[in-house]
Amino acid sequence: MNDSPKFVLTIRKLALMFRRDFTVARSYRFAFLIEMFQALFGSASFYFLSRFVQSPTLQKSLPPGTTYFSFALVGIAFFDYLSVALSTFDSSLQEARQNGTLENLLVTQTSLPVILAGSSIYPFAWMSLHTAIYLGWGAILFGFPLQGANWLGALIVLAASVLAFSGLGILSAGYLLIFKRGNPVNWVILGLSSVVGGMMYPISVLPKWLQYVARLTPVTYSLEGMRAAILNHATLRELLPSIAGLLLFAAILLPVSFGIFSWALRRAKITGTLTHF
Amino acid sequence: MENFALNLENVEKYFPAGASGWRAFVYPVSQLTVPALRGISIDVKKGETLAVVGANGAGKSTLLRILTTLLIPTRGHAQVCGFDVSKDPAKVRLQIGYHTGGDACFYSRLSARENLMLFAGLNNLSARDASQRIAELTEPFHLGDLLERQVRTLSTGNIHRLGLARAMMHRPSVLILDEPTRSLDPLAAADFRRFLLREIVGAHGTTLIFASHTLAEVEQLARRIAVLDGGQLLACDTLDGIKTNTGAETLEKSLEILTRHATREIK
Repeated sequence: MNDSPKFVLTIRKLALMFRRDFTVARSYRFAFLIEMFQALFGSASFYFLSRFVQSPTLQKSLPPGTTYFSFALVGIAFFDYLSVALSTFDSSLQEARQNGTLENLLVTQTSLPVILAGSSIYPFAWMSLHTAIYLGWGAILFGFPLQGANWLGALIVLAASVLAFSGLGILSAGYLLIFKRGNPVNWVILGLSSVVGGMMYPISVLPKWLQYVARLTPVTYSLEGMRAAILNHATLRELLPSIAGLLLFAAILLPVSFGIFSWALRRAKITGTLTHF
Repeated sequence: MENFALNLENVEKYFPAGASGWRAFVYPVSQLTVPALRGISIDVKKGETLAVVGANGAGKSTLLRILTTLLIPTRGHAQVCGFDVSKDPAKVRLQIGYHTGGDACFYSRLSARENLMLFAGLNNLSARDASQRIAELTEPFHLGDLLERQVRTLSTGNIHRLGLARAMMHRPSVLILDEPTRSLDPLAAADFRRFLLREIVGAHGTTLIFASHTLAEVEQLARRIAVLDGGQLLACDTLDGIKTNTGAETLEKSLEILTRHATREIK
């Protein structure tokens, strides 16, 4: 038996699960190629849409020196992190239920939260590659400005975003543990965030009261921070409000969602529905 | 207590009644009213083999799932090697190996070796220990030709052998099998039973608890037999003990007598 400290064992388990998902994904060789071209089509359609959208209100609302194309491309590319965070925990749970591995995973020396965290690493890594391809096509073919961006700042905003979004994802997995299907947590958060989060337009074009609602969703801070770091070359100091907002969300959402998830897990072991789907 | 691998004391398990329509929304917090196990008390000594038999819905799988910490008992105490399944689930999981009769319990696009390495790692085995353990199990479990193949290309019989190897990777004290030959054809099932007898019961001194509908399997493997019906323990004795107490010549007849008697008592 391994006598390494618990932290080291956990990191090793996370790495093992990443390797598992990577190996499985690699066995579907064609998927990567398809993803490359999907990103190209997505990038191209936003470029042509941006040439069509020429509203003076919109131009006035954009951060200085930013084109609508680059604004929307960052919005689309990074909004998907929220989708991944919301879907990865419950889809890994659902997948393990359906392929029959859940029981075997749960009788190991690894807790369900670690199993879910381990199963989310590959989707986030894949999402990062997807985002890089998106921005890469935008830069190569449509003049998306990559030079001068504060990549370290963007990385910190991204890490804080993943933490905040994961809180919502764990909440969603807790719902799935109990109710099995039709997850309204995902639906409400994604729907609300896509309207008020500033994915396709700046939140300043929203009615005043919706701008207040926008401040209650983490994706708003994430996209603001990302755009500031990549498009406006903001310094770490200038990114601080976005990072602090995201960390505040993480500090509230993570313990609450873990609490709810633990309750749901215990309840599923009591009602005998842990492996039902 | 030290000699016992398993100690169950008045274990009861209730589930909520099935719900549909709007009631489904309150199902997770519904009252536990449907009995699945009623006051089960069994002790199993270390190294012993216990078969759990009974009709569908008798409570066999519920009992095994409580022992594997996948379910929490409603009342009573269940201990595996001295650790309580509700209070010390992680320590219980360290003691057990678990395998079910289903053949979809691996990552089908990973190789057999990759699957074993993954589950060994999740059971806190280092990569070196896991590789060494795979090497040890390769010959007795006939894994040689299978290790580098994707699991989706293996036959059901081979997947079962692999499942058993996975359950034995971390050297558990108690091996729990839920209908291990359920999806095997008769010849493969007989082969699997011989294999269990030779490699698990005979060689390792591991305590074996298994649920089964196949009476030949029960007679061949078990030292003691626990008979469940409607969540109640009707008998827990050796094969000869059960036959003597019921006055029957075969196990099948004994089960018939026991369950008929129990049904009459419930009425």
